[in-house]
Amino acid sequence: MNTFNSNLHTQIASGGTRMLDTRPLDARSFDGRALESERVVLDDLEVGELAVQYDGSEPEELLEWAFNRFGEERFALVSSFQAEASVLIDMAYQINPKVRVVTVDTGRMPQEQYEIIDAFRLRYGINVEVLFPDAPGVEGMVRKHGVNLFYDSVPNRLLCCHVRKVLPLNRALKGLDCWGTGLRRDQWATRSNLKKIEMDHDHGGIIKLIPLADWTNEDVWNYIKEYDVPAHPLYGKNFSSISCQPCTRPIKVGEDPRSGRWWWEKNAPKECGMHCSIETGGFEHEVEAILGHQANHGTSGHEQNGHALNGASH
Amino acid sequence: MSDESRSPREGALGSAESAGAGGSTAERIARRRDSRPLTEEEVLRRNSVERLKLEKHPYDVLNDIPAFIEMAYEAVPEEDILRLQWYGLYHDKPKIGHFMLRVKIPNGILTAAQLRTIGRISQEHGQNSGELTTRQDVQLHWVRLASLPSLFAELEAAGMTTAGGCGDNVRNITGCPVAGIDPDELFDVNPVIQEIAEYFYGNREYGNLPRKHKYTIAACPHHCNGPEIHDIAMIGVTQGGREGFAFQIGGGLSSVPRIGKHLGVFVPKEQVLEVARGLTDIWRKDLRYRLSRAKARFKFMVDDDGAELIRERLEAHLGRKLEELEVIPQPVGRTDHMGIHPQKGEDVDTGRKFIGFPCFPGLMSGEQMVQIADALDQHAPGGQFRITREQNFILTHVPAANVEALVAAVAEIGYSLTVNPIRGTSIGCTGDPHCNFAVGPTKSKLVEIVTNLEHHYGDKVSDLRVYLDGCPHACGQHWVGDLGFQGTTRNSENGKITSYDIIVRGKLGPDAQIGRPLLRRIASNQVNEYVVRLVDAWLSERVEGEGLPEFYRRQPDERVVAIGAGSAA
Repeated sequence: MNTFNSNLHTQIASGGTRMLDTRPLDARSFDGRALESERVVLDDLEVGELAVQYDGSEPEELLEWAFNRFGEERFALVSSFQAEASVLIDMAYQINPKVRVVTVDTGRMPQEQYEIIDAFRLRYGINVEVLFPDAPGVEGMVRKHGVNLFYDSVPNRLLCCHVRKVLPLNRALKGLDCWGTGLRRDQWATRSNLKKIEMDHDHGGIIKLIPLADWTNEDVWNYIKEYDVPAHPLYGKNFSSISCQPCTRPIKVGEDPRSGRWWWEKNAPKECGMHCSIETGGFEHEVEAILGHQANHGTSGHEQNGHALNGASH
Repeated sequence: MSDESRSPREGALGSAESAGAGGSTAERIARRRDSRPLTEEEVLRRNSVERLKLEKHPYDVLNDIPAFIEMAYEAVPEEDILRLQWYGLYHDKPKIGHFMLRVKIPNGILTAAQLRTIGRISQEHGQNSGELTTRQDVQLHWVRLASLPSLFAELEAAGMTTAGGCGDNVRNITGCPVAGIDPDELFDVNPVIQEIAEYFYGNREYGNLPRKHKYTIAACPHHCNGPEIHDIAMIGVTQGGREGFAFQIGGGLSSVPRIGKHLGVFVPKEQVLEVARGLTDIWRKDLRYRLSRAKARFKFMVDDDGAELIRERLEAHLGRKLEELEVIPQPVGRTDHMGIHPQKGEDVDTGRKFIGFPCFPGLMSGEQMVQIADALDQHAPGGQFRITREQNFILTHVPAANVEALVAAVAEIGYSLTVNPIRGTSIGCTGDPHCNFAVGPTKSKLVEIVTNLEHHYGDKVSDLRVYLDGCPHACGQHWVGDLGFQGTTRNSENGKITSYDIIVRGKLGPDAQIGRPLLRRIASNQVNEYVVRLVDAWLSERVEGEGLPEFYRRQPDERVVAIGAGSAA
């Protein structure tokens, strides 16, 4: 057997799915269509009514709405390849094979992360857009705080999340009018009020689409099994949480799923136990409150200017 | 072939052909819908808060508080932190163990002793913080779990509670802050408010509503309490010589704002608890509003069914017809009850007064509360401290001879009567630094905007209502201010900028309407320029006496945008 099945790869890529767009993400995101005046900008009244109108809708219907409303270039699924992302990518692919999938490679991901990214690329022929953190930002942070700073303190761990994950994510969101996430209401007590369509005031007022808001964990896994969708290999290794390698660990049967991430921390903000609140926007509020301007000290490069931590915006 | 020689990619490639298998999207959806009829089981499966309330009644979390205090904070389950909302507690930002505490005050009326109690609790447990809210509560911050046992005991001893202050409860019952002492009121509704508050506050059965639920009750001819924006508003009327209430239902703000609809019934005041409870009952027993918290509020039932059908359902529920309302009550003029006024039933010159003090922007330290309580005891024994919808306070039962001394004493404490009245008509939500939702400064931004308006226009803007919020939840009621503001962000070349939507055309009253965010994402540092242009255009082009909302209602959208941006002809 050929150890690198490039034929199959090519076949998927050209065979009725799409030609892979190999332009760098920034070029795609900031071309002429990104002009503020041409963007689809909704106001809170419109979004509030849409959220009510679509509250009973199925995830596929929401994805279809997003494609129609924002176009395939200005809508993307932003994912860390948790089980929910597997479902959403599969659904979105049925509706529009050109679906954009964006993920962040923090530089500390486990090998399984690359396997699942690759699995989706090969299986669906989608060109997963992998974003990396700003190199000078990471270099400045680890020079100041060490490479394993996250074990030292909650603020250092937040700083690391901020530099390696949130800033690249924000860069991706800047080029979008709508992002889809796999948040679910029953993941966490404080997520119970999520709407399926929200205005994301933490990210420039773009739309946040939450198609699986009212799905349960069971619904997600039933879908994955029923339609034979690739799932992150770490779930098979007793991980309850998918994130950076140093900050997650497998849990034992019966153990609190929240002990699978940042298990060493004391006095960390609530909701940072299992499902990172980055996608809820809560993370950025916490970082702002806990780190204040400190976040800037660990970073350098252009990205820090773009964040609310920048003192000039407050 | 040995495992070692297999491509690491083999697993991924194995079923490549099956991408997109499993029938069409429409078929998948249909199958899934069929498998999920609306049942109690389905509600519990889909709505984690419904499960959480069933597993342990949130009011029972009180028994666990001593254990929470003993354990490390990170060990306190998030579900129980949420249950603490039933005792008026919300996490402050960041969520590391200090809380906002909301004291529930029926109609916002406190005795001097009660005010002093809250003030002392603030000093002892809340870093001297304090806010008067638009729902006539007092909120403290920085409260830790360890403080709760003694703090709850002190509140209870003083006849106050936080039970049902947040969470899926009948929230604080609001009303006209001068009920019982206003010469213009139709009748005194305080006994009705007391009856309903006593019934619902801490009531376990009504501690599992689909979501929060807001009542307001008043017989204020000016409708100063905003009945248009409550789930259930009871508006005092007289019919056939009897005192009773008209009902306006399904109002509310947040990101899905609604002006309430009139139910068309007259309910004698002796029956008002039964009827209000009936309305709440048909909603709380309707599974349609248990499935998703995004569509759980009472207003969505009014959206779905309409006022007429709800009246039919209510009458069926009560087992009797309700009396037809002859005239829908309309507010007469407007007031915020600020300044010095004679009290009901007293001599206009020599009798006792009530005095409304602007409390801009709704902040009052624990120390100030204690000082005001002392001033009341000294100058107006038996007088009360009453909180208004616009975050101000009224001191009552002030002997005519002591008015001057009390006004001077309160000015010394920090609340002067000789300010531009715009300070009494403007509202800012909690926001920074405490609230987890706000995306920009709130009270400080409000101060900046109002100060700038005073500077430019003085008396010309003295009755302008500036309502500012940090997020769409609209605690500061931005949808119905003359000028509403909501914090948001915008992207720019240099990144994310704090900005505000400016909302115009909104208003409470006879022509109540939800405003429109026509001026969107104005960078924070440009907000005042926009405000000045909007106010300039209104003042120079309005017809005699025309209010700002009315002026902007008759301008086309494009012109409003152009005026704001400074490009209007």
